[in-house]
Amino acid sequence: MQNLAEASKLKGETATISPIFPSYYARKWKERTTLTEQKRARIRADRLDTGFGSFRNVEVSIGRVIDEDWDEPMGPTPMPEVTTLRDWDHKLLKRYQPSYMPACQLCCLCTFGKCDLTGGKRGACGLDIKGQSARIVLAAANIGCAAHLAHARHLVDHLIHEFGPRTPLTQGEGVDIEAPVSRLVTGIRPRSLEDASSIIDYCETQLTHTLSAVHTGQEGSWLDFESKVLHAGMIDQVGMEIADLVQISTMGFPQSDPEAPLVEAGIASMDQSKATILCIGHNVVPAAAITDYSMEHGLQDKVDVSGICCTAWDITRHDSKAKIVGPISWQLRFVRSGLADVLVVDEQCIRTDIPLHAAKVKTPVIATCDKSCMGLPDRTNDDVDAIVADLVSFKVPGVFIGDHSKVGEVVVKTALAVKPKRKKKSSLPSKNKIKELAQTCRQCSECRRACPNDQPVMEAVLAASEGNFGPLVDVYDECIGCARCESACPNEYELHSWMVTAAKDRWMNESFKVRTGRGAIKDTEIRAVGQPVVFGEIPGVIAHVGCANYPDGGRAIHDMAEEFAKRRFIIVLSGCAAMTVGTVKDEEGKSIYERRTGAFDAGGVVNVGSCVSNPHIAGAAIKIASIFAKRNLRGNYEEIADYILNRVGAVGISWGAMSQKAASIASGFWRLGVPVIVGPHGTKYRRMLLGRADKAEDWKVYDARTGNQVQIAPAPEHLFYAVETMEECMVMTAKLCFRPNDTSRGRSIKLSHYIDLHERYYGYFPDDVHSFIRRESDIPITLKDKIHVHMKEHKWQEKPIPDPTILQRMVYGGGDG
Amino acid sequence: MMRAEPWQTAEVCGPKKAQSLEKPVVVKALLKKAKHPLLVVGANSLTEQTRKKSMIDYFIEFSENWNIPIVATAQTIKAFKEKGFKNVYSHNAMEITYLLTDPEWMVAPKKGPHDLVMTFGFPYYMEWLMLSALVNFSTEMKTVSLGRYFQPHASWSFPNLKKQKWNDALKEILTKNGGKK
Repeated sequence: MQNLAEASKLKGETATISPIFPSYYARKWKERTTLTEQKRARIRADRLDTGFGSFRNVEVSIGRVIDEDWDEPMGPTPMPEVTTLRDWDHKLLKRYQPSYMPACQLCCLCTFGKCDLTGGKRGACGLDIKGQSARIVLAAANIGCAAHLAHARHLVDHLIHEFGPRTPLTQGEGVDIEAPVSRLVTGIRPRSLEDASSIIDYCETQLTHTLSAVHTGQEGSWLDFESKVLHAGMIDQVGMEIADLVQISTMGFPQSDPEAPLVEAGIASMDQSKATILCIGHNVVPAAAITDYSMEHGLQDKVDVSGICCTAWDITRHDSKAKIVGPISWQLRFVRSGLADVLVVDEQCIRTDIPLHAAKVKTPVIATCDKSCMGLPDRTNDDVDAIVADLVSFKVPGVFIGDHSKVGEVVVKTALAVKPKRKKKSSLPSKNKIKELAQTCRQCSECRRACPNDQPVMEAVLAASEGNFGPLVDVYDECIGCARCESACPNEYELHSWMVTAAKDRWMNESFKVRTGRGAIKDTEIRAVGQPVVFGEIPGVIAHVGCANYPDGGRAIHDMAEEFAKRRFIIVLSGCAAMTVGTVKDEEGKSIYERRTGAFDAGGVVNVGSCVSNPHIAGAAIKIASIFAKRNLRGNYEEIADYILNRVGAVGISWGAMSQKAASIASGFWRLGVPVIVGPHGTKYRRMLLGRADKAEDWKVYDARTGNQVQIAPAPEHLFYAVETMEECMVMTAKLCFRPNDTSRGRSIKLSHYIDLHERYYGYFPDDVHSFIRRESDIPITLKDKIHVHMKEHKWQEKPIPDPTILQRMVYGGGDG
Repeated sequence: MMRAEPWQTAEVCGPKKAQSLEKPVVVKALLKKAKHPLLVVGANSLTEQTRKKSMIDYFIEFSENWNIPIVATAQTIKAFKEKGFKNVYSHNAMEITYLLTDPEWMVAPKKGPHDLVMTFGFPYYMEWLMLSALVNFSTEMKTVSLGRYFQPHASWSFPNLKKQKWNDALKEILTKNGGKK
């Protein structure tokens, strides 16, 4: 009882004995019992007298009792360990083989090295370039997974502290399957925050294993490195799902609401007559503390709160009066504009030099997360007024505050007090100053060489030296805000600021509306679209996710979303992509969110929310298998992934993928059989997963009805694929929506989109159409004559439409084996 | 002439580095020696101009002179098809890179594996990675980057040329230097 008492004292509330699942659980558990029987027992007492003291309001949680409400049978792989799904991974990786493009031919990770891995050489540890390349991919997936998991852990612990462990979890009305990914992977349906904590325990253990595999002298096979990549990705999906589920359940977010509020976005949406607070990052807790404090103290007329990156989404889900400035790439331009009176950073994708830029405009910085303290002094335990006084007097450029409840008060008070003192001080130079400085340009081209998008920065600077600022505006339009041009400039000119000044008229008037994240897809919506998606009549579900490392300014995301929405695909969005898509307005000044429904239906444009909302997209595919096809999903990963791979025409697109988190998110989709396309910068992930359409032997499935192996078209042809251009992305998106299970009607619809886009952008009838036609009835009626000629040229023969599976055990009766 | 160093910041490579293509005649020698060369052309070819002639026209002339098949990535294929050019194949940039690491694969059957691959028209970093795959996994293959900027993973690459000099070099390779084998 002493430990319990200490725990109670520490937490200041209910104590629990935890965790339920020790680190070695899954296999041991399966030997002993099934998870159906697991549920915590809890004893609660208003008063407890013991030999060493009396306690009030004691709650003790011990072990688990039967979760008798859930009669879904447990599948074969609850809480899979690193190798549990290895066979599935190897099946995928046999068809979709890694194509490595090493960024480095050396390994410098241990003191044996550096090792030269060129020309088939092996390093001192025995790894060759292929193994090392796979190891780097795993390192990225682990890093991304860790970022989301740590975020989830923080949210769960914080919310347990705030609301108690038994706080129920919900996605709102119309959602019985509240956490499809968690159910699928762990076999647990999280009903409360403590369940969520248990699931995160499991994820943390798995991540430790996949991370340890990167160490020198562990894994040696590229194939098994890649299997672990998929495992880390799957774990990442679980962690993200829990993170979003717990915040949706407790923080007043929209709950699976297709009519989630339209919120103000863009720099011009900020009310500059107020004290303005900018929150950057992904973890909403500090930002929510700010809006809560502001509301509780009636200060909303004096304080405007906004966000950049995913915190922006989640703060508007918490408070729809908050504003969205824009995606990750807009950090520097906004900070330097001086429009923010206080900057609050939490975690992930923050510019790590924010304090340097903020200091130049006298904007105090409040770091709030233990992952990104920014070198600022820890003032967590100091008096609020003392902290505010130091910030407002600019005695310190910023502080770290680990107590979120204190963050709200400090930030709001600081913003109000510092606003009149700093007077929106900006570090952007005037056009006259730029013209003067530009005349001293050394014309070394280093700015252009440093630009990831090869923008003609130097040429624009030279034009500015003559008073022509148009070229700088053009560069601004395609700028991703990295400021590498500045780092490269031998004159140390702030070239990014020059672009921002040149384009001031543009961004100062930039205002658009976006629909904030709705969260999960309702079971009822899945029930309505499940059949048309599986049969192919809704030709696909296209998810635009990820960061803002765009090759072309980002308009492509809007154009692709609009094109496919018009074609009655379902468009799903999250993260920075979901912001960028809203920046383009039609002739009436409406964004795509104002023009289109937010329902998960043909032609819908569905914003699920922030990065951690991505599992709602995976969850929709999983729920199609569960709700429409009545497949058990509990602890039944392989079967459901096999179902999705062969039946659900879903494609992920990350046009501006930048981070390791984007890598782990993609990995989670791959393991589920969902292909992912990335924009040109996505090549820097250095590994694709590509199918070989020319190898017929790679494209065989079992027909579950007969057990026979059946030849199929190469569909989906690739699992991870980078494109050069938006046009190419559109053609491949349509193609990657083919699935072996498409009905004839569905296949003909999908073919008509593929052929139309191919002819439009590639200028000719695609030469692989015959391979996707199984029967006459697959042929789109309007293209019949053309396709018949093509079929004759290719000596087409009718092919069976199987009940497709790549798992022999899914053959009715079990097949041969 | 600038130094033979990677054009884009930080795109340094490992121990193996391209030879600087100082004289276009080197390409002619490589072409004469090659049994099954291939030209891979990216979408930037559509916007790149050398003097008054489009790059697509140059490549068609080059292909016809040397009987070299062309792989056009992304929507680049459309420009070739519109001109009625036939010896062109459509592949994605990642796809063709991967296929070229398979010694059994060839764009046109019965000619043997590709032993010389020339590249043009990709974002610098993308071509850098494509050539990295080839230098690491197609070790018998020679590669020539025809772009203006130095690509360290190629076997041969121009050393960051001034635009005029690069235009002249390209012209020499793609036209004047052409002729039947």
